[in-house]
Amino acid sequence: MALFPLQANFRGDFVVLLVPVDDGDDMTTVADKVAQHSIGLRVAEKNAPKCVYHNGRELPPAMTVAQSGIAPMDWIEVAYVD
Amino acid sequence: MPKLQRRDYYDTARDMNWAFSYVDENDVFPEELSKSFGIHGEHWWGWDEPYKLTYREYVHNQAGKDDGIYSIRSTIARSNLYDNLDLGWKSAIKAHYGAIPVPEYFASIGEARMARFGRAAAWRNMAAFGTLDECRHGQAQIYFPYCLLGKDPQFDWAHKAMHTNEWGVIAARSLFDDMFTANDAVSTAIQLTFTFETGFTNLQFLGMASDALHVGDIEFGALISSIQTDEARHSQQGEPTLKIMINNGKKDEAQKMVDQMFWRSWKLFALLTGISMDYYTPLESRTMSFKEFMQDWICRQFMDQFKDLGMSVPWYWEKHFLPELDWVHHAYHMGVWFWRPTVWWNPDAGVSAAERDWLEQKYPGWNARFGKLWDVIGDNVRTGRIEKTYPATLPVVCNCCHIPICTPSVGQAPRITTHNGRKLSFCCEVCEWVWKSQPERYDTHLSIVDRFLAGQIQPPTLEGALQYMGITPDVMGNDAQGYAWNGASRLAAE
Repeated sequence: MALFPLQANFRGDFVVLLVPVDDGDDMTTVADKVAQHSIGLRVAEKNAPKCVYHNGRELPPAMTVAQSGIAPMDWIEVAYVD
Repeated sequence: MPKLQRRDYYDTARDMNWAFSYVDENDVFPEELSKSFGIHGEHWWGWDEPYKLTYREYVHNQAGKDDGIYSIRSTIARSNLYDNLDLGWKSAIKAHYGAIPVPEYFASIGEARMARFGRAAAWRNMAAFGTLDECRHGQAQIYFPYCLLGKDPQFDWAHKAMHTNEWGVIAARSLFDDMFTANDAVSTAIQLTFTFETGFTNLQFLGMASDALHVGDIEFGALISSIQTDEARHSQQGEPTLKIMINNGKKDEAQKMVDQMFWRSWKLFALLTGISMDYYTPLESRTMSFKEFMQDWICRQFMDQFKDLGMSVPWYWEKHFLPELDWVHHAYHMGVWFWRPTVWWNPDAGVSAAERDWLEQKYPGWNARFGKLWDVIGDNVRTGRIEKTYPATLPVVCNCCHIPICTPSVGQAPRITTHNGRKLSFCCEVCEWVWKSQPERYDTHLSIVDRFLAGQIQPPTLEGALQYMGITPDVMGNDAQGYAWNGASRLAAE
């Protein structure tokens, strides 16, 4: 299990943040790790699932970081799925 | 014997230029300290400035100015004027006092470099006065806050700031070192005296002076407007230097230097002046919005001067610069407020209902973009969940401007690139262009996030970061109004 940092923002927030994830994390966990810095702090909470976007792709919830091809200090965006 | 008038003897006394016979020009003016751009010797000797004075006149004028500002200070000190100033305004001056005074001393280094390595005697003469000016500015802007130490320990950062690794200070030092502390004399004339001083400093020193007088801060207003009278004189080194370059076929080189430093200056001004004008200055004292000041001083006056010289508007003007006038400083303000423990002043949220109306009027769409986020913050304040108004991680900062990477709208990626195996992040295309235009100048410098990731900040926590930045509990920023603004906030329009 390797810890590595990502650049991430939650869609609707105003700033890109440094968010550490683990390469064993699945995308649901990654989404939560990013969201915790925005949802309920600056972005209104919604009762909707969240999704991770990387290089224009929407990543499946069960996919892990190791499987995704995301590299340390890549940028990801997390958003509510409408 | 009849005496000559000053106008008849001045240029003769001043123009001590000569062709070197015993040494090589490159030994007198090494390229590293005085970049020639291929322009040599007597091609510089036509350098001429419009506003001339003798040393005797200089000393007389400056002594008079100092008598004025120091008298005002000592008189005001006997009153309770400071105590009655708006709390947000106090934060604006604390921010100014941390960011500006010691860089004025850096600027005297840059002026002193021009005083020796400027390639014309007239220029070296003006730069000698400039060196003294910047010493004056450093001294006055350290002394005034020094006298306010008894009011608030945050004023200690007038001296301390530039000796720390606080994130905003890293951004300021990065800009100023690039512009003048670590720049050759010719580039300094173009990038400091022309680009920065002819345009941007008017925003902070005259725009803020105007707001200061409305706020009732006579001391600060008198100080910075007096300082700007010196600026008006030593900034005149820019234009003659630019003219020499243009007349010798080096317009493209000059343009590039202006384009680089205009952008870097813009970023720091959006951070310091944008926040102060649109959020910290009390509403009733805002003479103009930050955007309106920018449009007046920069888009109109400075650009008119640009074009008169035959220069072009920077390449990024329409696509990148003008749009940023609408949103960048609002994002920076939100960041500074949310990360308020990391600054040495108390950010004023500036989002009461009346202030939000003003912001929406001056920046249509503000409520939809930023008001919506402040609503969530306001909810947390109203319901006593203050812990949710503090950050739990670092923002990513741009490797060029060293300011957090903010997004104007959804889905905008930071610009990530790799250089010699090192991953770099930039907030925008222009910062990336600035960095890549001289990679050897910047590539050994680590952003605060780079340092964090490299293990230089220990422990690697927010507490460790505050310690690394030199922020102590007695200066750590908090909401200027003690959250009193929240009682008047309202939900953003859907």
